Amino acid sequence: MPKSMGAVKQAIPAEIGGEADVAMGGSGTAGQAASGRKVLPIVEGVVLVAALLAPLVLQDYLTVFATRVIILALFALSFDLVWGYAGIMSFGQALFFGSAGYGVALLARDLDITNIFLVLPAGTLIGLTFALLLGGFLLLGRHPSSVIFVSLGTLTGSYAADRLARGWYYLGGQNGIPSISSMTLGSYEFSEGPSFYYLVLGILIVVYLLCRFLVRSQFGLALAGLRENEQRIAFFGYKAQHLKAIIFAIGGAVAGLAGSLYAFHEGFVWPNMVGVVVSTQVVLYVLFGGSGTLIGAVIGAVIVEGVSFWLSDNYREVWPIILGVLLLLVILFRPLGLISFVLGERERVGSFGARPKETEKEKRNAAP
Amino acid sequence: MANAFVAAFEILSFGAIIVLIVLGLGIIASMMGIFNFAQGEFVLLGAYITYLAYAKGLPIWAGMVAAPFVVGALGFVLEALIIRRFYAAPIVAMLGTYALGLIIRETVRGLIGGFYLTVPEPIGGSIDIGAMHISAWRFTIIVITLLVMVCCYLLLSRTNFGLRMRATLENPSLARASGISTPLMYGATFAFGSALAGLAGALIVPVFSLYADLGLRFLIQGFVAVMVGGVGSFIGPVAGAGVIGTLSAALPWVMAPVVADVLVFVLAIVFIKFRPQGLIAGRGV
Repeated sequence: MPKSMGAVKQAIPAEIGGEADVAMGGSGTAGQAASGRKVLPIVEGVVLVAALLAPLVLQDYLTVFATRVIILALFALSFDLVWGYAGIMSFGQALFFGSAGYGVALLARDLDITNIFLVLPAGTLIGLTFALLLGGFLLLGRHPSSVIFVSLGTLTGSYAADRLARGWYYLGGQNGIPSISSMTLGSYEFSEGPSFYYLVLGILIVVYLLCRFLVRSQFGLALAGLRENEQRIAFFGYKAQHLKAIIFAIGGAVAGLAGSLYAFHEGFVWPNMVGVVVSTQVVLYVLFGGSGTLIGAVIGAVIVEGVSFWLSDNYREVWPIILGVLLLLVILFRPLGLISFVLGERERVGSFGARPKETEKEKRNAAP
Repeated sequence: MANAFVAAFEILSFGAIIVLIVLGLGIIASMMGIFNFAQGEFVLLGAYITYLAYAKGLPIWAGMVAAPFVVGALGFVLEALIIRRFYAAPIVAMLGTYALGLIIRETVRGLIGGFYLTVPEPIGGSIDIGAMHISAWRFTIIVITLLVMVCCYLLLSRTNFGLRMRATLENPSLARASGISTPLMYGATFAFGSALAGLAGALIVPVFSLYADLGLRFLIQGFVAVMVGGVGSFIGPVAGAGVIGTLSAALPWVMAPVVADVLVFVLAIVFIKFRPQGLIAGRGV
């Protein structure tokens, strides 16, 4: 019993390394076949082509479903940025997703603002603001916060928001806000169907490319270092907590964008959207697909949602159990997710943008 | 006067329930460094076993006695099969135990359907003190909670088993060198924590009735209580649970329940932020 606080504290710097070790263990056998050709662009290309062609082959109601999946993929991307690249376990990502959804729903309901150029930035801003507030509080400060505190803090935040939304009459209480009017561009209304699908897909592609640029930049390199060994990054003189707060805020903004799209696409928002259920849902997507690769998050969202849609007719009750078993298997035996079947460790870590002059020395030190 | 007394009793009994639930969570978190997301589902299982005993026509008491043993045994098996792999990585442990919890919760949901199933109180009626009536079963829960707390404390601080457990957790290699089987001790600790959750579930099911999200309801409150109390000792989480339980039961009497609900969490997180070691930072039992 006396293995108390001290032991927990000591464990904190070690555990990031520990996770990395666990992670390495699972990926040894993965792809990266003899040729050494890059797998990632191929995977991305296949996903892109499939996504572009989907509405042409799918029936209408499936296109609506596919649109929802794409929005959730965008949401998964936000969690992947935070967990897969910076190693911050955000168990409350739905807080930013849902609060943005509620925000734009209120804009549409009370102020009649549905213009796409107003509501999407507004949703993004709401996500960003909430993430800055929560992330700033949890991550910044004189003493670095433990990963446990951050994950439980975000979880608690999401839970508290859920309770607040349920009890607050202005936000519609248990029922949420129903029948939100459509998003508009001038006089054009985005209704469910191919036009909304391609709009969302376009946004996903843009955000994906921005994220890709971000994680491959020098900032991304610092983040990768943070994920693998936070203490070392701090010793190099990086402000580790600031980096974390920045990426947390960016993740929140992306989640907010996804949340506002989701609100308009579904036409209603309800308390679950800020709560623990959705927060853990996004964790599942990313773990399944493969954290630390952006495309893995997208694939994870598509697979989890797709399979659950497919099974929900006949196996509605069994599906969550299967999901749990699969999740456990992935965590135990494939910690890098399904994408690690085709993607090697080296390519997952990847290379980063040009070195700025002033950090040349630090990078040399970091190399071995 | 009578109202104040009833209020105090309500607050006390809710505090006792939270303490009961947090005991197991706290032992696992303090001793093994694992925040067990499946703990809520262990509570649920304890409640389910009690319900089963009732549904089969056995006395409810039998179900309540059986629950901790069954859940403890399950905890032992799960530790050996799965939890053991997570010791190096607390975040992975959270995710893994979350998956476990999901499996258990959805299985129970499949078994009971989406219903709220009631289990009668084994000790019905009320205790009358003058004009005031307090529920006899809630009073029993308070008494049992106190007993369990004292027993746990004595077990950990006074017995050979407790000594071995503490030795294992403080310095595993030295414990191994002294001939203690550390894997067995880890398994026993986890089983013990699970058994406490099972007991908690069995005792609270007459009060809250049985539904699949029963455990989830208390899980986050439990985590917050552990963090507020301080990870690392037996007393810390118990103290935290007392504070959180009392606050969550007391605040709705003075303000709107919604605000109170959220305020408890906000206060707790702010407190932990500025005092990460918790209420009781000391080591030991």
